[in-house]
Order: sequence, then C-alpha cells, then structure tokens
Amino acid sequence: MRNMNANELYTLRTSLQDSGTLLCFNGPISKGLLEEFGNALKRYLEADDAKSAEVTDVFSVYIEMTQNIRRYAAIRGYDDSRACATVVISRTHDGHYVVSAGNLVDVTHGTELVERINGYAALDKAQLKAAYKEQLRKPRDPLQPESAGLGLIEIARRATRPLHATTTPHRDGEAFFSLSVVI
Amino acid sequence: MKDLHLPGSQATPTISADSATGVLAMHGDSYPENAFELYGPVIEWVETYLAQSDKPLYMELELLYLNTSSIKAIMDVFDLVQAAHENGRRVAVNWYYDLANKRVGELAEEFTEDYTFAFQVIGRP
Repeated sequence: MRNMNANELYTLRTSLQDSGTLLCFNGPISKGLLEEFGNALKRYLEADDAKSAEVTDVFSVYIEMTQNIRRYAAIRGYDDSRACATVVISRTHDGHYVVSAGNLVDVTHGTELVERINGYAALDKAQLKAAYKEQLRKPRDPLQPESAGLGLIEIARRATRPLHATTTPHRDGEAFFSLSVVI
Repeated sequence: MKDLHLPGSQATPTISADSATGVLAMHGDSYPENAFELYGPVIEWVETYLAQSDKPLYMELELLYLNTSSIKAIMDVFDLVQAAHENGRRVAVNWYYDLANKRVGELAEEFTEDYTFAFQVIGRP
C-alpha cells in the first residue's frame, strides 16, 4: 500500500455519492464500534427528519446484519480484527433508506444464505409474520444459544421491497456476501 | 432470594427485581449480542420467585428497541409468567411506551397475541 492521492480518494468519494451513500463503513467491526456506528446512524437519521418508525427499521436492520456478521466471524474463529464488514447506508431516488452490508463467507455458506433469503423475499407480510412466530417458538440451538435464528426474518419484515442477496467470488474458497434492504 | 439490580448501558436495559414487592422492572434499549446470557439471571429470578412464594408477580416494562436475541429471551420470561398464570398465580405485565415510537407498540402488541395473562400495552403521549 502507498499513500492515496486526491484523485483516488475523489474517485472513491464520487462513486459513493453517485450510489446515494449517506454513511458508510468498511473494516473490522468490534462490538463497541458496532454500537458507536449505530448511534451515529440514529443521530444522522433523526437530523435527516426520518420518521420514528423509519429510524427504528433502519437501526434494527443494521443491528441484525452486523450482529450476524460478527456471530459468523466468531463461528469461523476470526478474532475481532478479522471480523470485517462493509456497511453502506444510502437513499434511493424516491427517498427510501437502504441498508446494505457485506462480509467474506465460505462459498457454500454464501450460496445457502442467498437461497434462504430468496425464500423470505418471496413471502408476503402475513407469511413473514407466521414464519417469525414459528421460528420464535423453536428451541435454541445448544451450540449457539445467543442466536434466535430470527434476524433474517426480522430484516425481511422491516423491508418495503423484497430482499436482495448476492455473492461475488473472492479467493481461497471464499465469496463476498452482500444483503441490501430497502426500508 | 437474591434480588437484581443491573444498571443499564447503551445496548442493555436497566433491570431490577424485588422479591418484597414482586416487581420485575426493565427499561431501556436491549440489543446485546448475547441476550441469552444477559437475561439468564432474570429467568432464574422469576423461576425462584414463583417457586418460593405465592405472592403476585408484576412486570413493569419500558423496553424500547429490542434485537431478535432479546425478543427470544423476553419470550422465555413471558412463557414462565404464562405457566404461572395457568397454575392460578396472580400475574400482570404492563408495557409502557411512547406513542411516537410506534414500532415498540407493535412489538409489544404482537407479544400479547400469544398469551392469556393480564398483559397491557400502554401508549403514552
């Protein structure tokens, strides 16, 4: 790596702005940083005159996604510094907030995750509520008692459009997984 | 029995449980990574209180944002309350929220669908 010059940073900035980025983060995400970025996000939305329900929805989707990423990193045995996440909060042309988050995953896990999310994306609000209640009543996974297995359904319930999950190849059997949610 | 006085933090609610009054109170945001761990002592307190006395149990809640890990843990607490109610115990849950914070009201209302004990969701202006 070498120093970035104005041109490179400007290109990055332009690319972020062109895609409607309001706030973004890329790097290792510790528990403390996750909370602090979440706080900054809440304050930003409040200052942006977002409706109370919108603030909660954006915050909730952000928390569920980033906590999923940290949980996955922990399962894979990554330490705090390797629990890297890319998080982008942006806005569509018609004024909806979009929360996108991505991380490196095992290729197989990525494919399974995309399939599972596509399954939720096909459900309407009533079906999602039923799926949510069913999952809520399922016994905890003894290996992961902290996970309710509810995060993705919760995210789908907060979305105003079907969830969009994709992967792109990385290397060494890994892929970059991305989930983008329109609030 | 040992009462609870857990101070809140950015991601965890203030929790107090008092066996003399039978009141379990929780207020604040709840989005710890491991809610199972945070609510373990709460579940233990409720179980012990219900087993060791026959006094009523009151839950006073002002919970705000809950992550799904917390929602599951709170459900475990409500399940104990429901079982006690079915055994004839006097129990009541009041969940207060700010009417401007519509999502909290919806979350609390959704919980009431699954229980038959006295469960009030009280919106305040």
